[in-house]
Amino acid sequence: MTKQQMPAVRLRGVSRSFIEGSVEHSVLSNVDAEFRAGEIVAIRGRSGSGKSTLLNLVSGIDTPDAGSVEVNGENLTGMSEKRRTLFRRENIGFVYQAFNLVPTLTVADNIRLVLELNDVPSAEADAAIDDLLTRVGLADRAGSYPDVLSGGEQQRVAIARALAHGPSIILADEPTGNLDDRTAATVLELLTSLVRARGSTMLMATHSESIAASCDRRIEVRDGGLHDQDSAAGTTTST
Amino acid sequence: MPALYRASLGYLFRHPWQLGLALLGICIGVAVMVAVDLANASSERAFLLSMETLNGRTTHQIVAGPAGVEESVYADLRTRAGLTNIAPVVTGEVSSGSVALGVLGVDLFAEQGFRAYSTVGSASVQGDGLSAVRDLLTVQGAVLMTGATAATLGLQAGDSFELISAGRSFDARVAGIISNPSNEEQLRDLLITDIANAQTWFDTHGYLTRIDVRIDAPDGAARLQAELPAGVELLTAESRTQTSRELTTAFMTNLSAMSLLAMLVGVFLIYNSVGFAVVQRRGLIGVLRALGVTREQTFKLIMIEGAVLGVAGAALGVGAGIWLGEKLLVLVSQSINDLYYRVSVTDVAVSGFSIGKGALAGLGATLVAAAVPAWEAAGFQPSLALRRSALESRTGRVAPILMLVGGAVMAVSVLLLLVSGTSLVAGLTALFLLIFGFSLCIPVVVRAISVPLARVAARITGTPGRMAVDGIRASLSRTGVAIVALAVAVSATIGVSVMVDSFRLAVSEWLGNTLRSDLYVGVESGSLDAGLVRDIAAVNGIAEYSTSRRAWIESEGVRTRVIALSMASESYAGTELVDAEPGAVWPSFDAGDGVVVSEPYAYRNQVTNGDVVRLRTNEGLREWPILGVYRSYDANQGAVLIGRAAYDRFWSDDKVDSLGIYLTDGADAEQVMADIRAAAEGQQAIRMSSNRALRDLSLRIFDRTFVITDVLYWLAVGVAIIGILGAMLALQLEKARELAVLRALGMTPGQLGGMVTLQTSVIGFLSGLAAIPLGIVMAWVLIEVINRRAFGWSMALHVEPRILVSGVLLATVSALAAGAYPAWRAAVSSPAAAMREE
Repeated sequence: MTKQQMPAVRLRGVSRSFIEGSVEHSVLSNVDAEFRAGEIVAIRGRSGSGKSTLLNLVSGIDTPDAGSVEVNGENLTGMSEKRRTLFRRENIGFVYQAFNLVPTLTVADNIRLVLELNDVPSAEADAAIDDLLTRVGLADRAGSYPDVLSGGEQQRVAIARALAHGPSIILADEPTGNLDDRTAATVLELLTSLVRARGSTMLMATHSESIAASCDRRIEVRDGGLHDQDSAAGTTTST
Repeated sequence: MPALYRASLGYLFRHPWQLGLALLGICIGVAVMVAVDLANASSERAFLLSMETLNGRTTHQIVAGPAGVEESVYADLRTRAGLTNIAPVVTGEVSSGSVALGVLGVDLFAEQGFRAYSTVGSASVQGDGLSAVRDLLTVQGAVLMTGATAATLGLQAGDSFELISAGRSFDARVAGIISNPSNEEQLRDLLITDIANAQTWFDTHGYLTRIDVRIDAPDGAARLQAELPAGVELLTAESRTQTSRELTTAFMTNLSAMSLLAMLVGVFLIYNSVGFAVVQRRGLIGVLRALGVTREQTFKLIMIEGAVLGVAGAALGVGAGIWLGEKLLVLVSQSINDLYYRVSVTDVAVSGFSIGKGALAGLGATLVAAAVPAWEAAGFQPSLALRRSALESRTGRVAPILMLVGGAVMAVSVLLLLVSGTSLVAGLTALFLLIFGFSLCIPVVVRAISVPLARVAARITGTPGRMAVDGIRASLSRTGVAIVALAVAVSATIGVSVMVDSFRLAVSEWLGNTLRSDLYVGVESGSLDAGLVRDIAAVNGIAEYSTSRRAWIESEGVRTRVIALSMASESYAGTELVDAEPGAVWPSFDAGDGVVVSEPYAYRNQVTNGDVVRLRTNEGLREWPILGVYRSYDANQGAVLIGRAAYDRFWSDDKVDSLGIYLTDGADAEQVMADIRAAAEGQQAIRMSSNRALRDLSLRIFDRTFVITDVLYWLAVGVAIIGILGAMLALQLEKARELAVLRALGMTPGQLGGMVTLQTSVIGFLSGLAAIPLGIVMAWVLIEVINRRAFGWSMALHVEPRILVSGVLLATVSALAAGAYPAWRAAVSSPAAAMREE
């Protein structure tokens, strides 16, 4: 299989549980799943079903108790924490529900941060920041601090930051959860168009039926497994 | 600057009060350290420079017993042995008005090549140098002094003034003013005069204090020693200076240790500040980690913050330290003058070494303190970093481990105390390990105590009370360190207070036991003539009297304080023997068959009953058996008591420093004192003190020497209060939303302020409770180890309950004071704004 033919993300027999007090809660159990390059996938499920856990495992922030997680053909499970961090830095972009911008940095510097982490030369970074801020419609707010921006504006900065270094995978955790419907629609449109334009793969955790409907595929996290809602019989992708 | 570092440092500047308090903590820690070091170093430097100036190019000194070197020895060396590089010197102390002055009596013809100021005739003496020299040689009582000394005395060249030496009055005249900026400070309060004048003033005709020698040839010293008669010794000038300097070593080491205590409390504060900065940014750190910032980068980031704080705090601390050093110098030099030797120092000598040491210690302490939170931040799992509960649950898990580590550290401390013999530095290290080990145990204890306390608070004040006390346990990662910092500072006040209290009690009892006479007679700076002693003894109403004479005897390069005693029958009981039966000791002592040594002497020289003391006498070196060890709180290296008869036999010195007089039954004390004054009339101006007055004076000097200790531990408490203030403000910031919700639910500003106040007072109370056992253990170590090793003193531990209660009150009030502003802020903050900011 060539690299192009490889799935962007592949989970094999992944299990993850958490211990609270003396009780063990299984969140994901023996999950197998594949996500193709360029695909935009909605991850649905009830609160606490394991959506965020799935995203954490794909990003390498968390590691499975059993099984393996491959991203772009690289097995994250066998990597050291540092190697996973460096891999994440290069290949993953995050968009959070709560924006999570760095409050002590300006809009431009929030984007510059990830470019610097990826050793992008300063001049190149400046150009990329200008380009991204123009694309997200915030070219005039480059020098502003996050706390003076509206929620929609903050999320647009977060999108620009997530895409700045050209990651192949975008992980979005309820990216419109903190926004009103109209702003949410605008932000989602911006996010999906930019992701598609760059050919990235996006896994997006969401509760919204309408947002899920706009994605290429919908997966539901339920009872520790992933269930493909777009397959004919609603077959599960987990075994 | 990379965006990552801007993000980090931006946080510090967004919380100016937190930044300010952290800087203040480091600043005070460094300032105290630099100040004590500068004060110590300046006093020591002043002493050394003074010795250097007075010794000049002297390489060796010829010394003899307490009366000095016979002039014939000098004449013999000059004429028979043909030595030219020798200069006779007579030194002593006099006073003029209320100013104490040193006297250096020299032979100007022999001075060439010894001391720089002696180049009179050149520009070093203002005005007519030659006339000054002529006056010095020909005018009785002519002296040279520096401009500063003349200004102090209100004199000018050519003025006459009165000098008092050993209670006698003499006329003196200013022959010239020395103007030599390079050593003017070292010659301050010193009169230089012809040797004959000095001999007259000190009544030492025919004797020299010493003969200064300049030896260039390698074997010169050995050849010269061979020329000297028995009882006369050749010593290097350097070793004599060193011996005097060593007297203050323990005193200065103890002060340095006290300053380190402020730094230790400062370390907790820095840990707290950096720790808070990390805890408050757990979300941000989590995001950064998710964006690809590695653990190493996270660690480095926090450490750089620590370094920035450390550098800024240390820079501020150095400035403040120089200022504080000038204040402490007064106290340090006063204590040295009270306890050891005369040192005149007015200005702090700012040394790069002291500043560098303080700054490096401040920076190092900051980095050490920052390393723990930095390590914690680096260890955050990105996914977990976003959850605050994870941090507290980790603190809960770590607390028992810390307690075990604390126990192990305390065990190492005890082991170090057991195996380190007499080392003072090892003793102080063990003390610090003990403090550190104990402090690691405090969080677990706080957690355990706060559970029942919360129940009690709930019963008394309802849910807000329970929330306030529970909040301490629930936020242990933040409150724990503040409690530790305050507990350590307060335990130091308890420890030092208990030690000083025990010490004062011991000294008071010792003085009560030692000072048995009804009256004490002596003279200002000098000794009583044998003839006057006889005249006083003949006064009606005197039943008995004791005499004492204190002298330094140098033997084989070792200076020994010898006290020659002739004791009245009641005086024997005043010298408490700790290891021998008085009945067996005193007859042999009076017969001159042996000596009795003080506890400090025995400890310092590691000798005991049955060992020997070697002293150089007129007849050469002689060994004296030690008959017993007596209790004493001498600040010097200890003393050797010898019977007056033996002293008179082996040394040519018939002087008496003080008389202890016992009155006959029914004698009128006032009349006896009047008769004694009448007997002394025309001979010496005597000073008389009653038993009570002398005892009070001794205790006043005792209290004065502990003023500096008080200053240092109050500074440590100040650092701890800043710690509590910082902790409470940070907690309030962190809980802004929670407090806003409480306000929204209907809690009044007063209730909210009361809740924060209750929390801080419980923090203070718990700190005070924790400080009690640590304070008592600290006092025990200070008494049994530090004082013993530093000074050889022994005393019983005496714990006054009022000191412990004061400690708890101090902790509670300090915390309340520190919590007042956060409580007010919590009460007046707008709930709407707090909810929005979140």
